[in-house]
Amino acid sequence: MLMKNSGLLAGVAAVFLMSTAGAVWAEQVTINFLTAEADGGFDAAIDQFEKDNPNIKVNFETVPFDSMVPTIEARIGAHDSSIDVFLVDTPRVSAMANSGYLLKINEEKDAVKGVANEAGLSVLMYGGDLYALPLWTSTQMMYYNKNLFDKAGVPYPSSEEMKRMTYEETIELAKKVMAGSGAKYGFSLEQIDRYYQLQPIFEGNGGGSGLKDDGNLTPDVSNAKWVEAGKFYASLFEKGLAPRGIASDQMPSTFTNGDTVFYVSGPWRLQPFTETEGLHFGVAPVPYWAGGKPQTPTGSWAVSLNPYAAHLEEAKKFAEYITLNAKGVGLVLQGIPNIPVNKDAYGPYVDWLASQNPQIAGDIKKVMTYELANTAVPRPSSIGYVAFETVMNKAFSDIRNGAEVEATLQQAQQQLESQMRRIK
Amino acid sequence: MSPGSRPWSGVQRSMSNWAKIRVATVFLLPAVLSVILLRLWPALLAIHTSLLAPRAISYSLENYIYIFTDPVFLNSVRVTLVFALIVNPLQVAIALGLAILMNNKLPMTGLWRSAVLLPVAIPQSVSAVIWAAAYRPDGLFNSLLQAVGIGPQRFVTSPDQALASIILVVSWIGVGYWMTMLMAGLQDIPKSLYEAATIDGANAWQRFRYVTLPQLRRPLTFVLVADTVANFLVFAPVSILTKGGPQGSTDLIMNQIYTNAFVNGDPGSAAAATVVLILLVLAIVLVQFRLMSDRSER
Repeated sequence: MLMKNSGLLAGVAAVFLMSTAGAVWAEQVTINFLTAEADGGFDAAIDQFEKDNPNIKVNFETVPFDSMVPTIEARIGAHDSSIDVFLVDTPRVSAMANSGYLLKINEEKDAVKGVANEAGLSVLMYGGDLYALPLWTSTQMMYYNKNLFDKAGVPYPSSEEMKRMTYEETIELAKKVMAGSGAKYGFSLEQIDRYYQLQPIFEGNGGGSGLKDDGNLTPDVSNAKWVEAGKFYASLFEKGLAPRGIASDQMPSTFTNGDTVFYVSGPWRLQPFTETEGLHFGVAPVPYWAGGKPQTPTGSWAVSLNPYAAHLEEAKKFAEYITLNAKGVGLVLQGIPNIPVNKDAYGPYVDWLASQNPQIAGDIKKVMTYELANTAVPRPSSIGYVAFETVMNKAFSDIRNGAEVEATLQQAQQQLESQMRRIK
Repeated sequence: MSPGSRPWSGVQRSMSNWAKIRVATVFLLPAVLSVILLRLWPALLAIHTSLLAPRAISYSLENYIYIFTDPVFLNSVRVTLVFALIVNPLQVAIALGLAILMNNKLPMTGLWRSAVLLPVAIPQSVSAVIWAAAYRPDGLFNSLLQAVGIGPQRFVTSPDQALASIILVVSWIGVGYWMTMLMAGLQDIPKSLYEAATIDGANAWQRFRYVTLPQLRRPLTFVLVADTVANFLVFAPVSILTKGGPQGSTDLIMNQIYTNAFVNGDPGSAAAATVVLILLVLAIVLVQFRLMSDRSER
C-alpha cells in the first residue's frame, strides 16, 4: 500500500514538475534577428538585453550582404514567421514597405524624432508612414597609404575640406606615387561595382541620381553626364589604377597589403586598418568633379519588424533597445562601430573612434563630421530602388570588365524602363 | 465456365486482387504523395503564378509576353542552350573516358577514383568560392600560366572566357559523380563478350565500339539525361562567380529566375521563366530518350 502510495505521489510530483516546467518554458520566447553583419557584432547588446529581459532570448542570424534582399524576399514574402526583426538598407525601405515586408510602426514616430534629424527620419518613411527604426548611417573617406607616399617622396594630401582634390588631381597624384613607389593600384573604391559608392562619381558629375520624376520611377542613366562619368570609371580599370576580377569583400586586402595608394571606404575600415601591422595610413575627403559639388554616400542599415513575426511584442522591444535606448545603441557600437543615427550618441562615438587612431584622430573627426553634415546625399527613395540597384550594379560590373560604356548604360536604361513599367 | 471448375474460384481471385491493390496502394502512397506535394503541386503553383501579371487578379499571358520581349531573358535562353550544348557532351565524354581508365587495373586505382569523386562531396557553393580565388587576376591559375610563359588571363571577368570558366567549375564538380555511374555499368558487362570479340579478331577500338558502347546504353542514357537536367539547373557557381556577367555571357535561365523572383520581387516573370525552363528541359530530354532508345526493343 505504502509502495503504491509513494508511487502515486511520485507520479503526481512528476506531473506537477512537468507542468510547471512547461509553464516556465512557455514564457521563454526566442526572437530571431536577421542581419548581414559578422557573428559577434551584436553580442554585447544582445547579452545585456537578455539580462534585462530574462524571458526573451535573441537568436542572431547572419547572411552575406548580397543575400539579404533575396532572404527577406523569400522568407517574409512567403509569410515566414520565424524572422521577427531584421536589418534593412534604408533606400530599400520604400520597395519593401510597398511589398508588405515591413510592419508599419507609426506609434514610434515621436521617439524617432527625438533621436534622428529630419533627413534621418525621412529615409525610414514610405507614403507618410514609418516602417523602420534608425540604427546607423554612413560616410566615406579616402584612405591613403603613407608608406607609399614616403617611398615616392611625395607630400601627403590634406584632410582640409578646402583642399579637397578633384578626381583629375587625385588620379595625377596617384600616378605620381605609383611611379615613385612601385604600388600596383592608384585609386580604388571598396564597393567597386556598387551604386552606393559610385553614386558620387555619377550623380556628382551633374547627371542626376539615375532615377527621376514622381516617385523616382523614371530611369535616367544614359544621359551625357552619366556616359562621361562612366568613361572615367572605365578608365580606372583600363589604365590599371584599380583592379578587375576582385570581389568587393576581397578589396580591403589590396589596401592592407600595400598595393593601393588611395582607397575609398567607410569608417568601418579604421579598426582593421589600424590593426594591420606595418600599415601607416591617413585620411582625406573623397574627391569631387571640378566645377561640381562635393558629394558623399550616406545611409545604412535600419531595423524593421516582420509583419508576420511570431513574437512581435518582444521583437519590438529588442528593436527599440538597439535603436532608441542610449545604452543599447552604445553596446551595439562597441561591437560594430558604424556611425549611429542617434544624435546623442554621435559625439561620444566620434571621440571614441578618433581616440582609437591617435595619430590621425583630428583628421578622422574633421573629415567625418564635415561630410555627414554637408556633403551626404542619400540614394534615391523609390519602390523601384532594388531593381534599379540590381541593374546598375550589373552595368557597373560590365563597365569595370571592359564593356563599352555608352552601349552598356543604354542597355541598362532600356532594361530599367521595362522593369519600372511592371512596378508602377 | 468450364465443366468441373469451382464456382467461387473467380471470387477468390478477385478478392486477392483487391488485397494486392490495397497493399500496393499502401506501399506506393509515400512516393505518390511526395511526387504530388514536392513536384506536381509546386509546378502547378508556378503555372498559376506565371499567369498572374503584377497586381492582376485574372489570368493572362502578360508575364510570358514580357519575358519573350525582354532581351535579358532571351539572352539567358541563348546562353543556357549554348552552355547545355557544350557542357553535356563534354562531361559525358570525360566521365566515360575516366570510367574506362579507372576500370582498368591502374596502380593505386582506389586513390584516383576517390580523387576524381571527391569534388562531389564539396558543396557547389564552397567549390565556387575556391575557384573564385583561383580565377583572381593574382590567383593560382595566372601564377601557373605565368610559370609556363603564358600571359595573365581574365577568366570570369572576360565575356569571352567566363562561360568556359563556369563550364570548367561545374565539370570539375560533376564529372566524378557521372564517372561512378558509368563504372558500375562497365563492371556489369560480361567478360565473355570481350573474350568472344577478341577471338573474332576485334581490336581495342572495335571492342569499345561494338561491345562496350552498346552494353553501356542504359547507364549512358541515365547519365546523359540526369546530367542534362542537372546542368539546366546550375545556379550556385554562376551566382558566386559571375552573377550572370560579364555582359550577360554567363546568364543562365536559373540565374534570371532567381534575380526576378528574389532580387527584383517579380514572382510572375520568374514563374513564367520557370515554366519555359521546364518545357525546354522536357523537350530536350524527350529527344535524348528517342536518340538513345534501342530500335530492336520497340
